Amino acid sequence: MSNSREITAVEAAAILINSVLGIGILNMPRFMVEAAGTGAPIVTIIGVLFVFISVWGITKLGMSFPTQSIVQYSERIIGKWLGRAYIFIAIIVFIFAAGLLLREFSEVLNTAVLFETPIEVSALVILFLAAYFTRDSLNTFAYIHLFYAPFIFIPGIIIAALSIPKYNYLYLQPLFRVEVNEWFTGITSMAPMFQGVFVLTIIIPFMKQPGLVMKASFWGTALAGGVYVITVISALAIAGPEELKTMMWPALEHARSVEVPGNFLERLGIVFLITWVIAVFTTIFSYYMIIVNVLRQLFRTQDHRMFSFFLFPLIFGVAMIPENVVQLYKGEMAKIVNWMGVMFLMGFPLLLVIVMKLRGLPLKGSGKKSD
Amino acid sequence: MLFRKAKKNRKLNSKQGADKASSTSAPPFGEKEVVENLDEMIELIFQLLGENADFVTRELTIFGEYRAAVFFMSSLVDQAEIHQQIMKPLMILPDDLSFDEILQTDIIPIIANESLYHSEVSLESSTAALVDAILIGETVVVIEGKRQAFRIDTRNIAKRSVTAPETEQVIIGPREGFIEQIETNMGLLRYRLPNRAFCIKTTKLGKLTKTTVAICYVKGVTNQKIVQEVEQRLSQIDIDATLDVGTIEQFIEDNSFSPFPQTYLAERPDSTIGNLMEGRVAILVDGSPFALLVPVVFNQFYQTMEDYTSRFLLGSFTRVIRVLALVFSIVVPSLYVSLISFNPELFPTQFAVAVAGGRAGVPFPAVIEVLLLEGAMEVLREATIRLPTQIGSALSIVGVLIIGQAAVEAGFSSPITIVVIALTTISSFATPVYSASFAFRILRFPLIILAGRFGLYGVVIGILFIFNHMLSLRSFGVPYMSPVAPGNAQGMKDVVIRSPFQWMTKRPAFLHPLDRDRVGSKDE
Repeated sequence: MSNSREITAVEAAAILINSVLGIGILNMPRFMVEAAGTGAPIVTIIGVLFVFISVWGITKLGMSFPTQSIVQYSERIIGKWLGRAYIFIAIIVFIFAAGLLLREFSEVLNTAVLFETPIEVSALVILFLAAYFTRDSLNTFAYIHLFYAPFIFIPGIIIAALSIPKYNYLYLQPLFRVEVNEWFTGITSMAPMFQGVFVLTIIIPFMKQPGLVMKASFWGTALAGGVYVITVISALAIAGPEELKTMMWPALEHARSVEVPGNFLERLGIVFLITWVIAVFTTIFSYYMIIVNVLRQLFRTQDHRMFSFFLFPLIFGVAMIPENVVQLYKGEMAKIVNWMGVMFLMGFPLLLVIVMKLRGLPLKGSGKKSD
Repeated sequence: MLFRKAKKNRKLNSKQGADKASSTSAPPFGEKEVVENLDEMIELIFQLLGENADFVTRELTIFGEYRAAVFFMSSLVDQAEIHQQIMKPLMILPDDLSFDEILQTDIIPIIANESLYHSEVSLESSTAALVDAILIGETVVVIEGKRQAFRIDTRNIAKRSVTAPETEQVIIGPREGFIEQIETNMGLLRYRLPNRAFCIKTTKLGKLTKTTVAICYVKGVTNQKIVQEVEQRLSQIDIDATLDVGTIEQFIEDNSFSPFPQTYLAERPDSTIGNLMEGRVAILVDGSPFALLVPVVFNQFYQTMEDYTSRFLLGSFTRVIRVLALVFSIVVPSLYVSLISFNPELFPTQFAVAVAGGRAGVPFPAVIEVLLLEGAMEVLREATIRLPTQIGSALSIVGVLIIGQAAVEAGFSSPITIVVIALTTISSFATPVYSASFAFRILRFPLIILAGRFGLYGVVIGILFIFNHMLSLRSFGVPYMSPVAPGNAQGMKDVVIRSPFQWMTKRPAFLHPLDRDRVGSKDE
């Protein structure tokens, strides 16, 4: 009954949303406000537009070679060894990105709820949860994402709606502050949140109707980007630009301050935290799955279980490198990883598309070849 | 070898079942053929079965001319039937035949065509098959000088009558349940679906028990790949005794280590037919009052037949209640532990004070308290299952009321904990399928421990793990969480609520039925 091409367009969109929405919901408002002040919402929107270009590039590549893996077509486009080097760098970047994500998650958990639990333990628990299920097939991966998408989306919208009465619209003005270099910093600091779009490269070869992938990518990115924009707007409208800069995780503070009508739960922060744990799990799960699958394609084996086992200590090790939260956000490692992420995961696919067009690929009939 | 095969093919009208029986058994006396000497035959069969008190051998002379012997197991047949339907016609010459005719022609066609009034008669030339036939309740007639013997289906086994099912009770709906005999069960199904598309295939399973196993499906609805998969998995079973459908379940399920049931045991013919019409396959086993339905999806385990026989609003409401009970039965104790131990600030203030007051004298942390009481509850539940009804109800009153009350008064636990445990236990009884409620009973414990260690984070991680596991399960190739993930709009109408039949015009797509249309309009 199970054939390999089972992922539907809705599942693909859900995967994309879940891979993008994650840790960023908590700290993105601060990044954006630090970069652009009250211009943060506009900068976020422009940033999302830039992400669209990158997503278009990745989708275009996948659609041009619908049966091949990223390893195969990047080797075809820029040559065997360059292609492999690119994939290798991408994997390293992803391992570091996943590690930092994991660390950030456990730091938040440690600060917000589990004051006495060592961060190593809370990190290990969620990493194990992700690693265990990377052993399953990509179809299961799609089911898991589809299932959790509403659990991330609906509470998010409810919390955003409940916080509207607290808006102070003065905080949103002036809307347009045209300082290009500020915008540039803003965009580069938000782009790493969207690294998850790379997941498209592994799911396109498994899609039931590869023709619908562009639609799925568009909706996925639009919805995820929309959530980010709303988060930034509501954080800014509640706290104002100056206060926001002093908050480590503004969205968490706001969710805690939201009151539920009916008075049956004293504070909503915990509900938000549950949603957020699910969101982070899906993101880590996606990153892990990307690494495992790209590694499998790089080594051209069928079995990917071995990789999920070996990656576990690697990702965990990376997560434990920063000594504290300050290093986690301001340290050299985070900066390098973010830059590399923007360049190799989001920028490089565009370069590949250009080279592909220049070389006139894919040649007729070559797209049918599969591993 | 070749010679023997050729001989087997010469059989007049052998039954398929008999073929199987003779080929699967290899008794010590080998594949011995029926010999012409009657005394030798009697001796041979007597050696094998003579020790048994219920084994009967009766020698007679057919039409006063041919010596013959009748063998049967008195415990498996209706003796009056043998007297009237077999002995009498064999001894008395039919009126339209003369004695000379009998002497001139072969006696076997005459007996088969004119004497025996029985509908299921066949000829057999292998001794092993004859012995097997006697053992399942057939009567064997061996005739002097003939290399073939008659076997007549006279099986008549004591059985209970068709009664209301014990496990899937409904308030409004049919009162019939399966019984142990497979013939009756097949009849109950045929009665509800008298259609030539409804197909029942049988096979024998179990090296020693040779139990009849039937595969039922509806041609043109059930996807043939599922039928083939079921047949293939059944054929791989190699076991000495097939005692119940539960044995087969464990051999054909996809994941033996999952707490979740991957097959559905139905005791009701009407729900079995309902499932067959959705494109499932039912497996019946002789001796078991349950039909095994595959493939299953999770949402079946909180649905009942009544959802479909009662009206839309009622059916939907009771189903929502059951989903709620399912959620309660798994998360309430762990939520309670995590809130008490880690996030008491989530309770509204007055309630938080009450909780703290109740727990003032309790010597254990919340997680230990809840684990102890949950453990006690499980012991109580297990104890009452085995007891006769009268004692059972008395015990549950003693156990629940008195121990609960005393535990609170002794300062052993807080009253709110008792409320939580009681709510959980009662909720778990609201799950209609025992095997599914059992999965949740087991999973409650790791969740409580996670809650005690990590608070709400632990509960969330635990629930994510359970969901991920359910999402990765498959039953005969069908994803367990269908039609939620992978999504299917048509199937979603029958998940949490039971939509009106006018909305559910198509069969659920996750079973890949060959014919999608379920409800049509006559006007078209």
